[in-house]
Amino acid sequence: MNLAAVTINHHTAPVELREALHLSAEEIAGFVQDAKGKLFNEGLIISTCNRTEIYGIPVDNKVDYNQIQKFLVNKKCVSNVKPENFRNYTSNAAVKHLFSVIAGIDSLLIGDNQIYHQVKDSFQLADELMFTGYLTKRLFDAAIKTGKRAISETEISEGAVTVSYAAVQLIEKIFSSLNKKSALVIGVGETGEIAAKNLKERGIGRLSLTNRTIERAEKVAEKLGARILPFNTFKNYMHEYDIILSATSSTELILTKEDIKNSMKRRSYSPVILMDIAIPRDIEPTAKEIDYVFYHDIDSLNIIVEQNLNKRRDEIPKVEKIIDEETAAFFNWFNSLEVAPAIKSLREHFELIRAEEVGKNINRFSNEDREKLEIITKRIINKILHQPTVELKRISEQGQNSNDAAVKISILKDLFGINNIDEEEKH
Amino acid sequence: MNAAIDFINILLPVLYLTTFGIYFYDFMYGGKNFSNSKRLFLFITLLVHASYLILRTILFDHPPITNVFEIFTVLAFSVGFSYFILELLTDIRGTGPFIIIFSIFFQIISTLFIQDLVEVREVLRSNLLGGHVFSALLGYSGITISAVYGILYLILYQDIKLNRFGLIFNRLPSLEILERLSFVSAVIGFFMLSLAIIIGVIWLPKAFPNFSYTDPKLIGTSLVWLLYGIGILSKTFGKWRGKRVVTLSVVGFVIAILSTALTNFLSQSFHSFY
Repeated sequence: MNLAAVTINHHTAPVELREALHLSAEEIAGFVQDAKGKLFNEGLIISTCNRTEIYGIPVDNKVDYNQIQKFLVNKKCVSNVKPENFRNYTSNAAVKHLFSVIAGIDSLLIGDNQIYHQVKDSFQLADELMFTGYLTKRLFDAAIKTGKRAISETEISEGAVTVSYAAVQLIEKIFSSLNKKSALVIGVGETGEIAAKNLKERGIGRLSLTNRTIERAEKVAEKLGARILPFNTFKNYMHEYDIILSATSSTELILTKEDIKNSMKRRSYSPVILMDIAIPRDIEPTAKEIDYVFYHDIDSLNIIVEQNLNKRRDEIPKVEKIIDEETAAFFNWFNSLEVAPAIKSLREHFELIRAEEVGKNINRFSNEDREKLEIITKRIINKILHQPTVELKRISEQGQNSNDAAVKISILKDLFGINNIDEEEKH
Repeated sequence: MNAAIDFINILLPVLYLTTFGIYFYDFMYGGKNFSNSKRLFLFITLLVHASYLILRTILFDHPPITNVFEIFTVLAFSVGFSYFILELLTDIRGTGPFIIIFSIFFQIISTLFIQDLVEVREVLRSNLLGGHVFSALLGYSGITISAVYGILYLILYQDIKLNRFGLIFNRLPSLEILERLSFVSAVIGFFMLSLAIIIGVIWLPKAFPNFSYTDPKLIGTSLVWLLYGIGILSKTFGKWRGKRVVTLSVVGFVIAILSTALTNFLSQSFHSFY
């Protein structure tokens, strides 16, 4: 199979270059319009913040990787791109690479299942642009199946691998359900806003925000439907909250151990979670010594992230096994496309010779023997063709090595002159 | 029939150990291998155990509550069965090994020492006694499970406080759920224990006219009952929570075990029937 793939991703290029070569949906449409018929007959383009990948069936053997790379670079008018910023794959390796991408093991964040949806969207876009063909559609089905199997049969996407999700995981180990809990986010800069958004998405019962600049708090509160507490008086209401998340850029402590102690007394020592995700820290770390206070900072959240990443890394061999199985299954199908017609041509060729020879000599046999002649000659042909048929079926079922199948079919056709016959039949 | 009972008697520890092994494997390694099938293993074990108890009752013409080793096999069943119901109702599956281990403990002791008694003292054939023992056993199962969840709560509490995010952190449900499971089990245990005490108070003067209220078993049980009563009331009225309630549950369990051990093996009590 002559599937070609050219990729630039986080393994091969810095973020500036990846950004420069990123293709929006409109740009992909333009790319497809120019490349279809010129470079590829059919194909697929995946472009995310971490990768731009071009897969396609070249129009002829003259199309090489340099041409594809140049096409992309010229399209985006980017300079300073070196050949080593690209990786090129063909046939089996290209299919395997696509499956690795969709299964999440090629991602910057191993097991990130966002890529699964991005690849799915890319296929849909290619389909809408009529860039897909018989082969890429089948490739799409196989890729989706691989992605689904990786997610459902392994733990490659399990556990939080970002600090904000690790914070949520930790909160869920203390409280069973967030919808009856309340949270206060102190400081709504970028980090605070993301954390507040995560809490909202997880269904927090009541969300309040406080920030030195009230305008900023108002803006975020409006987006998230949260309440605002004035920054200079929020400590008076702290006891009303089960989760306090602090993410200010203050260089001094915002909450001391004494503040927490007072708040705990007022809430009758009902458990409280203090998430200090600010650098430098906002909450006095010794607050963790108070009973029912669960204090955690960036370092403790990073422990969870690192553990989950290690667990995901341990799952990679299982995912690779799935990729191997699905690649083999895909090539079984692909090889059968070539092998089945070859077997048919071979049989038809021999049958033609047999029928001709029987026809020429039929009068030499008595009426009673003619039927036997048919049976015997057919049996001879079947016996002669048994071994080549079995061998061709075997290489088609063996999977991945499509070149091997193609070479054997080609030799067979040359030896028996089947190509010539096919051509004659066409004319 | 006897041969069947002897065979199941030996089979039961094997079944409980196998079920424990499967639950333990699932706890350690997670994955999808035994996530659902482990419940089936527990169900089969409990089914065999229930058949064993019925067979014994039919063959020996009395429920298996006439001596401590018969009671241990009922207790093993009762703990396993209570956990099974709890798992079905809550769908919390990660705590099985910590509870099934108690069934193994009680069943192994029972298997080793149980005797096939056909002749038992007439006093042990009373229906009231049957109700008393079964409600007491369910009560003890409740407080055993409550204590297990209490201990798990304390371990997870410490782990979270000290940033230890290991197996316990990953596999156990949240602190709030553990606290709730411990409390619900304690309430059920307390209710059943209250029932056992009421039946006992009705039955006792009839069976033992000369019994004493200073009997160690009565004192021990009353103490356990009182402790759980205080804990449940304090929790209900919102005065106590978390660590304090589960610690009380664990202490209540330890006192219950000590009281049982003392009355059955060391001191002279009317509760020692053999």
